[in-house]
Amino acid sequence: MTDYHLEQKLAQAVEHAAPDQLDAILDRCGQRRGPVVVMQQTPRRRRSFSVYAVAACLALLLLGGGGLGFYRASNAVASVVSLDVNPSIEMQVNGREKVLSVAALNAEAEEVLADLPLKGTDLNVAVNAVIGSLLRHGYLDSISSAILISVEDSDANRAARLQQSLSTEVGTALQNAQSGAAVLSQTVTQDAGLDSLAQQNSVSVGKAYLIESIRGVNSALGFDELAALSVEELKQMASAGAGQMPIGREQAAAIARAYAGVEAGASLAEVDPELDEYPPHYEVELKTAYGEYEYIIDGYTGEVLSGAADIQTNPGGATTPSTPGTSGGQQPSGADIGLDAAKSAALTHAGVSASQALFTKTERDYDDGRLEYELEFWVGETEYDYEVDGATGRIIKSEAETHMAASQGDIGLEAARDAALRHAGLSLSQVRGLETERDYDDGRLEYEIQFYAGGMEYEYTIDGATGTVLEYEMDED
Amino acid sequence: MLWILGTMAQEQRPGPSELEEQLLQVAAGSREALAAFYACTRTAVYGLALSYLRNGHDAEDVTQDVYLRVWDSAAGYQPHGKPLAWVLTIAKNFALMRLRSREKLRDLSEGEWEFLAIESPAVTAEDREVLSAALGVLGEQERQIVLLHAVSGLKHREIAQLMELPLATVLSKYHRGLKKLKKKLEGEDAV
Repeated sequence: MTDYHLEQKLAQAVEHAAPDQLDAILDRCGQRRGPVVVMQQTPRRRRSFSVYAVAACLALLLLGGGGLGFYRASNAVASVVSLDVNPSIEMQVNGREKVLSVAALNAEAEEVLADLPLKGTDLNVAVNAVIGSLLRHGYLDSISSAILISVEDSDANRAARLQQSLSTEVGTALQNAQSGAAVLSQTVTQDAGLDSLAQQNSVSVGKAYLIESIRGVNSALGFDELAALSVEELKQMASAGAGQMPIGREQAAAIARAYAGVEAGASLAEVDPELDEYPPHYEVELKTAYGEYEYIIDGYTGEVLSGAADIQTNPGGATTPSTPGTSGGQQPSGADIGLDAAKSAALTHAGVSASQALFTKTERDYDDGRLEYELEFWVGETEYDYEVDGATGRIIKSEAETHMAASQGDIGLEAARDAALRHAGLSLSQVRGLETERDYDDGRLEYEIQFYAGGMEYEYTIDGATGTVLEYEMDED
Repeated sequence: MLWILGTMAQEQRPGPSELEEQLLQVAAGSREALAAFYACTRTAVYGLALSYLRNGHDAEDVTQDVYLRVWDSAAGYQPHGKPLAWVLTIAKNFALMRLRSREKLRDLSEGEWEFLAIESPAVTAEDREVLSAALGVLGEQERQIVLLHAVSGLKHREIAQLMELPLATVLSKYHRGLKKLKKKLEGEDAV
């Protein structure tokens, strides 16, 4: 029995075993928006925190805030849900969990919400759409980023239920998008004092609640100063004891730039607060024309704990050496080489001319906040698959597959291995983790050769009869 | 020509763009699109659930939950050209949740869980033999990898991503799994 035959048998057995449940599924889809059971209201303010470490994303969903006036004016608004990352988004929801209105609480949120038709949709659909847009705009892609979900509702039970279901929803969405982040959620029952504090400071009620819980530990800290911090910083302060006022991300970036001797205009800074570590600090990554540099800045004193000084006069210590066009390449708003340049990078890499290639797919896409061009083209009987970095033109992935007739014979394992190495331009001593396998696929003898070299992973399928490279993949290790 | 084989395989398995189009319509509330998406992907989803749970009832329940989640979450799907991997990731998460709750349940009532429990009338004696070999003889990851490859048509690299395993591990477990399976099936044939 060949592998192919065996797999066919298995596929068929599963096909036969899988029952048709479509009717049952469609029935349940119809029922999913049942009316909300009204439970007894608890006037007491309640709060609960839970951190989902599924992926490392922090989601802030805030319910309440500016929607409160509306709530009183009309029974239609049952709850207000807000999502805070840096963008703060507030949604008013009725008792059937339909979105009645959506508000952007800051300029970043306006950008995220642009063109999203959320009004009238189900809350979980709207939340998924917002998460998708946040990801597309490059939020939530750092491992330490986070989103806070806050639900404010006069009905604590309903708030808790919404908190739970939205946290799960957001956690799944982030996991599906392979975002490395954590989800933070809280419920807040309505409180007029908190609402007015939130409004005065242009923050969501969820964030206001977080700030008040910190001020409960250390009342010397000012509300407006804390309001300027990110949810992530606030959360870290809350868990680390809120001893004093941190310098903030902007100040940390400015200190790192001054120490490095670069202008703000000539560098991009990514700042990760780590206020719950010891010592509490900010990690600042500076992307400059000289390369990427990492700095550790004390979270309270602003002292530079590690990092390279004066990089222009002393350009040795880059964590990542610069390549032309790299600076700014990680930002979705950064450079874009354009489709034509991406195509020509792929064609050059494949060693074929534009006139030979027939493009079957050209897609501009963001993956993990990085602009990429996904290209597919044919030259004769060979199919090429490329992913090109949209900012730098670097080849992220390349794959080629030749579709040709089977032939007889066996060149042997070593010859097949050498054919793969020759194609990759590597010698046996340069590769590691070499794995080889002799196999029959669709009745044809093939060798599967796999190895690692230079941070890349190579996978080859070699025709066992002729030594032709039938398929190869090269991917970041 | 291999090219022809490739074309045939594509007919059996709708391309990513077709599935993405279906998801887009599901997001817009189309039940017909959900039905079409279900028809195209249900065997892969059920197969994955079965490889984790080794029980037809549980796999059916998980499959239903997966498509309800698809209905609810299609709007959040980001078109990266990997719709099948997306739905299989959901399936994996539900299967793992199911496994955990079953572990808890089994502490309470020993012996409730039954191996296989596949009742579909379409299942032939040979199907049953193959399935019980795949689900009984192979190690946990071996059966997950072998079934994913056979049923969903994902590439080894995609399976590695889905299962969060190194490619080398997936390849070696895949080949070891197939060998074990062949030995079991051909051994029994010979008797």
